[in-house]
Amino acid sequence: MPELAAPRQEDTGRIVRRLAGIAWEYRADCLSLLGLQLLLTGLTVAILALTGAGIDVVRHAVEPAAPVSGLTGWLLGNALGDEPLGACLRLAALILLVAIVRAALSYAYTIRSVRFLHGRVVVGMRARVYTKLQQLSFRFFDANASGSIINRVTADAHSIRLFIEGVVLQVAIISLTLAVCATYMFLTDWRLTLACLSLLPLQVWYAIRFSSRVRPAYEENRRLMDDLVLGFSESIQGVQTVKGLAAEERAKADFARRNEAVRGQKQRVIGEVALFWPVVDGLSQLSLCILLGYGGWLFAQGQLALGTGLVTFAALLQQFAGQVATVATVVDNAQVALTGARRIFEILDTEPGVASRPEARSPGRFLGKVAFEGVSFEYRENNSVLRDISFTANPGERIAIAGATGSGKSALLSLIPRFYDPRSGRVTLDGHDLRDLPLAELRRQVGFVFQDNFLFSNTVAANIAFGHPDADRARIERAARIAGADGFIRELPEGYDSLLGESGVNLSGGQRQRLAIARALLLEPTVLLLDDPTSAIDPETEREILEAMEAAMEGRTTFIVAHRLATLRSADRILVLERGRLAQVGTHDELMAQDGPYRRGILVQTEGAGAP
Amino acid sequence: MSQPRPSHELTVRRQRPEDDEPDRVPLTWALVRRMIGLTDGYRAWRNWLFVLCAGRAIQLPVLAWMLAHIIRGPLAAQDVRGTLAWTAAFVATVILTETTLYWRIRLAHQLGECVLRDLRNRMMGHLLSHPLAFFHARKHGSLISRMIGDIEQMRNGLQNNLFITLVQGGQMIGAALAMLLIQPRLFLVLLAMAPVMWAINRHFRGRILDASRTQQESFSRVTAALAETVQGIRVTQGFAREETNAGIFSRLIYALADNIVRTSRLVALFLPLLELNAQAFLAALIAVGGWMAVSAGGTGVGDLVTFFFLANLFFNPITLIGTQLSEATLSMASAERYFRIVDTAPAWADAPGARPCPELRGAVAFEQVSFAYEEGRTVLHEVSFRAEPGQVIALVGHTGSGKSTVVSLLSKFHLPVSGRVTVDGVDLADIRQQSLRAQMGFVFQSNFLFSGTVADNVRQGKPDATDAEVTAAFAALDCLDLIESLPEGIHTVLSERGRGLSIGQQQLVAFARALIGDPRILVLDEATSAVDTLTEARLQVALTRLLRGRTSFVVAHRLSTIRNADQILVLDHGRLVESGRHAELLAKGGTYARLDAEFSRRGA
Repeated sequence: MPELAAPRQEDTGRIVRRLAGIAWEYRADCLSLLGLQLLLTGLTVAILALTGAGIDVVRHAVEPAAPVSGLTGWLLGNALGDEPLGACLRLAALILLVAIVRAALSYAYTIRSVRFLHGRVVVGMRARVYTKLQQLSFRFFDANASGSIINRVTADAHSIRLFIEGVVLQVAIISLTLAVCATYMFLTDWRLTLACLSLLPLQVWYAIRFSSRVRPAYEENRRLMDDLVLGFSESIQGVQTVKGLAAEERAKADFARRNEAVRGQKQRVIGEVALFWPVVDGLSQLSLCILLGYGGWLFAQGQLALGTGLVTFAALLQQFAGQVATVATVVDNAQVALTGARRIFEILDTEPGVASRPEARSPGRFLGKVAFEGVSFEYRENNSVLRDISFTANPGERIAIAGATGSGKSALLSLIPRFYDPRSGRVTLDGHDLRDLPLAELRRQVGFVFQDNFLFSNTVAANIAFGHPDADRARIERAARIAGADGFIRELPEGYDSLLGESGVNLSGGQRQRLAIARALLLEPTVLLLDDPTSAIDPETEREILEAMEAAMEGRTTFIVAHRLATLRSADRILVLERGRLAQVGTHDELMAQDGPYRRGILVQTEGAGAP
Repeated sequence: MSQPRPSHELTVRRQRPEDDEPDRVPLTWALVRRMIGLTDGYRAWRNWLFVLCAGRAIQLPVLAWMLAHIIRGPLAAQDVRGTLAWTAAFVATVILTETTLYWRIRLAHQLGECVLRDLRNRMMGHLLSHPLAFFHARKHGSLISRMIGDIEQMRNGLQNNLFITLVQGGQMIGAALAMLLIQPRLFLVLLAMAPVMWAINRHFRGRILDASRTQQESFSRVTAALAETVQGIRVTQGFAREETNAGIFSRLIYALADNIVRTSRLVALFLPLLELNAQAFLAALIAVGGWMAVSAGGTGVGDLVTFFFLANLFFNPITLIGTQLSEATLSMASAERYFRIVDTAPAWADAPGARPCPELRGAVAFEQVSFAYEEGRTVLHEVSFRAEPGQVIALVGHTGSGKSTVVSLLSKFHLPVSGRVTVDGVDLADIRQQSLRAQMGFVFQSNFLFSGTVADNVRQGKPDATDAEVTAAFAALDCLDLIESLPEGIHTVLSERGRGLSIGQQQLVAFARALIGDPRILVLDEATSAVDTLTEARLQVALTRLLRGRTSFVVAHRLSTIRNADQILVLDHGRLVESGRHAELLAKGGTYARLDAEFSRRGA
């Protein structure tokens, strides 16, 4: 099987390596960001150190006997002068200056990182996933809920950014910050530094442990929550069914059960969640106590300055506490990024089930002769939908397909534009195996109208011109006229420019189908597929569509799934399918002369077998 | 063409959020009080939370003050013993503070989760008490966002906005008081900075809000384009339009990236400015400190140290409270929307004295029944008829003639404006709707299937049915082979609205679901028009048998169905124009005869 719906378990190591590979492609950007970050951290420490120095300067002014530390002494001796007030003012001005430079750099940093991460990394990944998505065959879309596919492009595409920003850069930033702060501290007093940082490993360990323990709980919660939303959404969308089955109480009880499951699961982790901040914060406060005790002793010994020593150290320790909390975020990010990346890579690695062969060549003009040669097909393994089907449809012929629910009528049609490939046998157009034709060109030759046709939230004209966006208005109107849609379109408030969709006009089922026919006709296909286009239609409006279809079929090889007698009668040939096999072939009259599934089915319509 | 070329591209129009309602609402006391009232069931937790918040508001300034006091006092005096003693006291306070924090967070979460659950259950119960018309008037998406988004936002309002604002506000006051007591002049310098901060806050917050709204819109355009791509993938691939779409999508994501950059430009300015302000205070502290140190009788170093630690406790809350209050306006808007839903009484409900429906024989009578969906637009005019138990009643008429309305009045989905509908002689007004429908079965032209297996869906009609009964139901419909040919038979899992089954197969499941509960009255509203001919043939034979002994109402266009009915009701523009058996009506040469000719011509 070329495509898989179930997540393939790629081992984590490979995903990390692959992510790292992508991050490596952006190394220049990452390095320049880190350079800026280094400057920023340096300036932050400088501001705190200068403030500490200021306290020392003031102290020196009040008690000239007090010892002066290295930094303060150097500042006093070289930059500030001995006069206390002047020194203080100059110091204050210096702090302000550093702060302004820092603010400017910080602005530059944010802009640069957003431009890089959102403007390049995310955009690049989204475009890649989107392009890939459009190439994937229908099997993929059959197997995955639309919501989850949308998520892959919106949310999961962020996982690459998250990995770069929230893991790679963040780890580098934490390390840088710690290194810069620690450097200052070591330069001031290495013994005190070691003592103060002794609790750091404990904090980091706790943060990592916390997020790896709580993370699965959050994922479990999201799962329970999806379950709740699904249940609710179905009760609302299917409210008529719920009420019709008198199932309101059951629906409520079911909802309450899911609701309580969400709460109960949260309740079990609340203790752990509530403990996180008190522990991280408490440990930093304990580091402060070590600073006070040991630092106080050092100060008493005259080995440590009050400002640049104690006060600055205290402020730096608070900076540390902030960084430790981000460790938990990093672990979190890493897990989110891995999950997302796994899903993204899954899509990028999926082979398009149906693709043009490199040597595919266009024969130029198509006549419309379609042949099935021993074709078997299955959607899922070992669940045959079509078995050994062979027939030939000549150019311009009108072929009707009849058969019971699940007999493979739609499957047969979907092989002609290569929405799927047969498992064995081959389908040919004008004698060419479909797999030898360029895919896009093949599909432009084949027009189709489904049971239920998707129209896009756009103007009527744009929907008709969907296959050929540059088509001019005259061409669009011509297609609409043949499809019998021109009349009602002109009656819409803005004619061909009326918007469809949620915010636009609502069309009836019959009108939608006629638009779909016009859309198919615009490309003037050689082969036309009509998959029971009247089944979802109010039977009264059916006639309008039948007329449109009649006009559309003129001069094209047409395959039509139908169960109306009139349509069947007008077909050149009828293929009767029974459980994936071609049970009967012939004109209406021939088939009516045989005792077979066709006649048995038709009798009901004409004679009436009894009740509804 | 002189005009710019018409672009028939898939440009996704701006999609407005569900309703034209404000996404933010200013805080009003009435609403806040009502929100807090939601916690009344958990009074003890809530009151403890208030106590804990007050505790935190005091403890934080105390900790900062202690730290400063140790440094400026015993430590500066080189009093080792005093330092150690104070440090021990500091440790004790830290433990107390962190314990308070633990319980503050824990109780708030607990409270939040409970309120969340209660709000959801209440809304669900309330929604299902509304008649069908309520749901037809609302978009499904907007109810989902009430249930999920708005309730979550309300929880956030209570669990976080309220308590964090209390803690931060208290802490700000505590720090201010401490500083005022310690050194009023220095505090005044600090105070001068507060308005600057507040102004920066105000200036940016509004702009950031606007920018992020634009960004959000841009994002929803991306999502909408994606949704259409995925839902319309068959059409896209069928028309080989992948490249055009990729071009459009790429423009959308670049526009989104530009919008993100625009938002971050503001954020990138806002946060450094706030920090700059706090750092400017440090500079001022040094300058003023220096001046005071020199001027006679000035302050000591000690006060500088104290302010160094306390100042943050005063500055940080300004931003934090700003964030909380701005989030709170979101909660308020959500609360308003939520309350509007739960405050809306159902348009009608069963009368207080309504009884459970007795076991039905199946006689149905309409007596002068009129109905209008909205005032002045009557869709049914004084319709009267009787159906005897076990009869097959066919409803015939053009689209909009009122066939489906008759059926929904009979099911008590709506109440007649005048006249009455009775079953076995009992007025439906005196019967509880659920107990009535429990004895009815419905199959429509398109039926909602729930996610779960085929068997789960059939069991909706009879919750305790065994697998054997489910299988038997399909067998009775003579279509067991069609269901068994599914990959897992009756255990085949359906996702998203019955996906995985063909339309015909979905109909079969709906039939089995309707019949498994052995209903006395059966409603078939275009039930077989989406089923293919060959399957329909088998179904009809089976139904002839299955309908025996049940009163059934059939809306259909197939002649075969109508011809064999015990009674045909011909509706035209909401009036019952003819009724009788096929042959009688044909002989009359009236509306029915014309319809019959029309249908026959269609070759159906």
